[in-house]
Amino acid sequence: MDQILHEVAFFLKQMMLTMVPFILAAQGTMLAGRTGVFNVATEGIMLTTASVGFIIAFQSNSILLGMVAAMLVGGLFGLVMAYMTTSLKLNQFVIGLAFFFLGTGISTLIPKLIFGVSLVQPVIPTLQNLPIPLLSKIPFLGDIFFNQNILVYVSVLVSLLLYYFLYRTSFGLEMRSVGENPKMADSLGINVFRQRYVAIIIGCMLIGLAGVYLPMVYTGTFTEQITKGRGWLASALCFFGGWRPLPILYGSLFFAGIEVLAYRVQIGTSAIPYQFLIMLPYVATIVVMVLTFKRSTTPKFLGSNYDREKRTL
Amino acid sequence: MSKANQTPENKFSVRKLLSHPVMSYLLAILAAFVASGIFIALMGYDPFKAFQTILVTSFRTPNGFIQTLLKWVPLTLLALAFTVPYATMKFNIGGEGQLLMGAIGATIAGILLKGLPPILMVPAVLLAGTLAGAIWGFIPGWLLYRYKINEILTTVLLNFVTFALVNYIATEVYPNPEVGHPTTIRIATEGWLPMLVDNPPLHSGLILMVMVAIGVYAFTNRSTRGYELVATGANPRAAGVFGINVPVMFMMGLVIGGALAGLAGGIEVAGIQHHLIEGMHSNFKILGIIIGLIAKGSSLAVPFVAFFIAVMEVGASAMQRTLNIPIEMVYIVEALILLFVLLVDVVRRK
Amino acid sequence: MEQNEVILQMVDICKAFDGNQALDHVNFELGAREIHGLLGGNGAGKTTLMNVLYGLYKQDSGDILLKGKKLRIASPRDAIRNGIGMVHQHFLQINNWSVVQNVVLGSSVQNKWTMNLAPEVAKLQKLCDRFAIDIDLQVEVGELPMGTRQKVEILKALYRGVDILILDEPTTNLTPQEVDALFVSLKVMVDEGLSIVFITHKLREVLSVCDRITLLRNGKNVTCMPRSEANEETLVRGMVGEDLNVKDSVIFSKEIREGTKIDEVVTPVLEVKGLRHVTEQGIERLKDVTFSIHPGEIFGIAGVAGNGQLELAETLVGVQSKAGGTIKYNGRELNMVTAELLQQGLTYIPEDRLGDGYLPKVNVAQNLILGAQHKQPYSKNGFIDWRKVFEASWEMIKEYNIKTSGPKDTAANLSGGNIQRVMIARAFSHVGDSLMLAHCPTRGLDIPSMDFVYKKLLARKMQGYATLLISEDLDELLLLCDRIGVMYRGELVGILHRSQFDKYEIGRMMSGVKS
Repeated sequence: MDQILHEVAFFLKQMMLTMVPFILAAQGTMLAGRTGVFNVATEGIMLTTASVGFIIAFQSNSILLGMVAAMLVGGLFGLVMAYMTTSLKLNQFVIGLAFFFLGTGISTLIPKLIFGVSLVQPVIPTLQNLPIPLLSKIPFLGDIFFNQNILVYVSVLVSLLLYYFLYRTSFGLEMRSVGENPKMADSLGINVFRQRYVAIIIGCMLIGLAGVYLPMVYTGTFTEQITKGRGWLASALCFFGGWRPLPILYGSLFFAGIEVLAYRVQIGTSAIPYQFLIMLPYVATIVVMVLTFKRSTTPKFLGSNYDREKRTL
Repeated sequence: MSKANQTPENKFSVRKLLSHPVMSYLLAILAAFVASGIFIALMGYDPFKAFQTILVTSFRTPNGFIQTLLKWVPLTLLALAFTVPYATMKFNIGGEGQLLMGAIGATIAGILLKGLPPILMVPAVLLAGTLAGAIWGFIPGWLLYRYKINEILTTVLLNFVTFALVNYIATEVYPNPEVGHPTTIRIATEGWLPMLVDNPPLHSGLILMVMVAIGVYAFTNRSTRGYELVATGANPRAAGVFGINVPVMFMMGLVIGGALAGLAGGIEVAGIQHHLIEGMHSNFKILGIIIGLIAKGSSLAVPFVAFFIAVMEVGASAMQRTLNIPIEMVYIVEALILLFVLLVDVVRRK
Repeated sequence: MEQNEVILQMVDICKAFDGNQALDHVNFELGAREIHGLLGGNGAGKTTLMNVLYGLYKQDSGDILLKGKKLRIASPRDAIRNGIGMVHQHFLQINNWSVVQNVVLGSSVQNKWTMNLAPEVAKLQKLCDRFAIDIDLQVEVGELPMGTRQKVEILKALYRGVDILILDEPTTNLTPQEVDALFVSLKVMVDEGLSIVFITHKLREVLSVCDRITLLRNGKNVTCMPRSEANEETLVRGMVGEDLNVKDSVIFSKEIREGTKIDEVVTPVLEVKGLRHVTEQGIERLKDVTFSIHPGEIFGIAGVAGNGQLELAETLVGVQSKAGGTIKYNGRELNMVTAELLQQGLTYIPEDRLGDGYLPKVNVAQNLILGAQHKQPYSKNGFIDWRKVFEASWEMIKEYNIKTSGPKDTAANLSGGNIQRVMIARAFSHVGDSLMLAHCPTRGLDIPSMDFVYKKLLARKMQGYATLLISEDLDELLLLCDRIGVMYRGELVGILHRSQFDKYEIGRMMSGVKS
């Protein structure tokens, strides 16, 4: 009994830890999506920010500085992408793929340039747990939910704030209108370009934070392809979360659960070849998308650029 | 600010210069080289030497040239695997996975069909690869057709599934314990592609690729089905209203794309590797997509762009060996070429 | 009427799109408390001029003066700030948002951080009372009928406290009765101090409601006169220009045409019985629709947009599936599997040409063969004979007066009217077709082109071909049809023969009253 309880507690705690990059990357992608910009570079941005953030954290010996750098790099990606899609009106998917490719390249190039090809892996300290006074003392639950690293709290908080912002404030209403009908928004005096710039840049900063989390939490090292498709999974999350902050939060928990499950089973038994457990998150994602396809709603103008002077009729 | 006030001749000539497709490519390549050259210089390397190595290695030795041709084959097929669905405005990001599926299919066929004469065996191996790739394109196609699930996500997620599948087959099903790296046993020699040149080795997949590329061009630009594919991409609603079965077009694009990538995988196995080896896709990654996008989806331009990228890739390996500049540098150059190609278009529109 | 003080002047406005001069030194003037009609055929530049005023388009040259002061309007925000509001022809609304949310969006609400909209609702209620607008503010906009949705648009402008209200073709989606009601409320607004720009292509409307009329043609001023001096003939002349011989025209002909006698023995070309259509969400959009079209007949479908016309067209074309009923073509029942009627020889002019008929990224020739790509002589053994296609395209470009550099020109370079010409050319050129389904075929065409289409439709009729004409323009239907069926909420409320045609009777039926 104790054994099982212990395993459950461990599982839940791992899940909380694992959900962070999903939440941050998906909310970041979602935010841009709500203004009509489909960011398909999420994976590439995460890779670059993981790499750059790791290096800055290593060189400066400051995790915080690493995070700030990652967010800045993410924001820079966002700015350039916003310029190319919103101002130059280039196809969002083409630009997104170009930046995915660019980000993937940069993420391996920079460490090779800085560290060279060395056998000794540079290591940074991993994120410390930050127990919340009183709450963390609650038996059983306290340790699971309130004795976590700072980004666990931040990611949940970001989700709640985004929900409040988008659905309970007039600024959120304006932002959502841009993705639902940019021409209407424009005709009512809402600055479509500014809304898109803001959403993309803030979104990409969140994605940056999601990227840098990866080397900071498990091993303290950066490896090639460290994201293992989490950026793409985050995009999938947006779809079956209907581009809404709270369902994305729940979805992230579910994703984290699958990832931890696959990992635990892999350690616990050899009955199932571990390769199939590695496949599990990706296959599960596709299955969930199939199951939820009917309820899934997307912003009406997702993926299309707005050109005020383009004549319609 | 009336347009009539601008000097028409001046504007006209610049526009004319830019409007020639080859010129706009040259300009984009030049801009990408300048931008990345500055970066290379800042990192303390000699940009001129770097670019010289990148561009010239392929043509200095027979070996370099044949290396380039060997890269050209899969890159062209992978790029076509992207451009055919792209004609319908669907994005096949799963070329890597489809190539690996093709390699898996070809390997299994090559192992199981041992004993057949080469005249049957070689086509069987390639066909198995093509079919396996087509199936891997069919899954996202069907999910799109039946459930309207975004193909970008499904194709890319299937990539990750394939990586694990390759590992499984190479370590559990047909492992070759003599090799340290996950690798299968070799396919029967009857399944190997005949050689065009023995030393340095150049296999006959090259001819097959050229034929396939011509076939794809004829299909997309000359056939009625190809027209329907293009019409679907131009405006799916309108195509549907005028009697084209749009979801089937989407699916067809992705299945053909998958088959082309699968063929690339089959050729890699039957022509070069002769077994399945983990990481065999790492030379191509998503280069097919970049080539397809630089070619702006034109199946006519793809082989040329693919050749150029093959030259750069071969050059990049040499650059890493001789100048110590990481091979990834060339990815940056390629991404910049794509971005500048797009930017030149913007300037042209103005 | 006494001369009012001038509150707005637009001076020498020029605007070009990709080299097409849409506005050529246009002047416009609006007096206080004036209803100013902006009259012209499609492509005359009316909407473009007002989009410039509203900040949606930036003029290449020319000035805007508000109460004598020069004004720079870079965006709709600037226009709103200066008391200018616009009701677009195609409503800009988010269907699944409530009326209040749609109206207050973009204005600064009192409770920014809680979105408690009570103060705004109160303010709106007051406005509704003042202008006698009857709307439930909490309903989702998508559930409202077109007439009410227009009121939402007007409310948007009033809520922002505009002095100048631009109405772009406001009568498009209204029944004749609703049009009368709109005219009454315009008078109320003017009495409350507003000035109104009324964009229309309908002579009768300007003559019945406007104080002054400015007439545009091909992006140029033709004339500007008070209503008292206006007469129908000069306005017609001015709208049409020299390209059309008014005497020979269908539109302005005074000749009374009889409806075709239907020979009941002859098999109808199309026979629709009990047709039903249900959307994926389970909403019934077509209920028991029954009608038939005989050779040599033009059968019209009237109705306010959104009452099932699109579903009827798309069910016949095969884009949407039917939930019940039968469709017989030349006496043979069809299963309606994937575009069967199209393959059997139906030609189709879709309503939404940009969305449903036009391929922007490919060339003009590729556009012209859409739907005929399988047919001789374009296609042989699965391959397209591009030489033949280009030859045929050149002929169509000439006959239908499509302004383009040639078949290889990218379709994205075509203007709205020319895209419609491509639709028309495509539909009329692919011969051997005994049935045509034309859905708003003259939308976006200038008057001479419109007349050209009418002549073509009547010529078809003379040759004994059948036509199903769905239109929102009642005048068009009254002019051309032998019979008119009126649709309301997916039902065919009644079918009138030409001898029974009466505008207000049809109007009543359009609002659901059965005949």
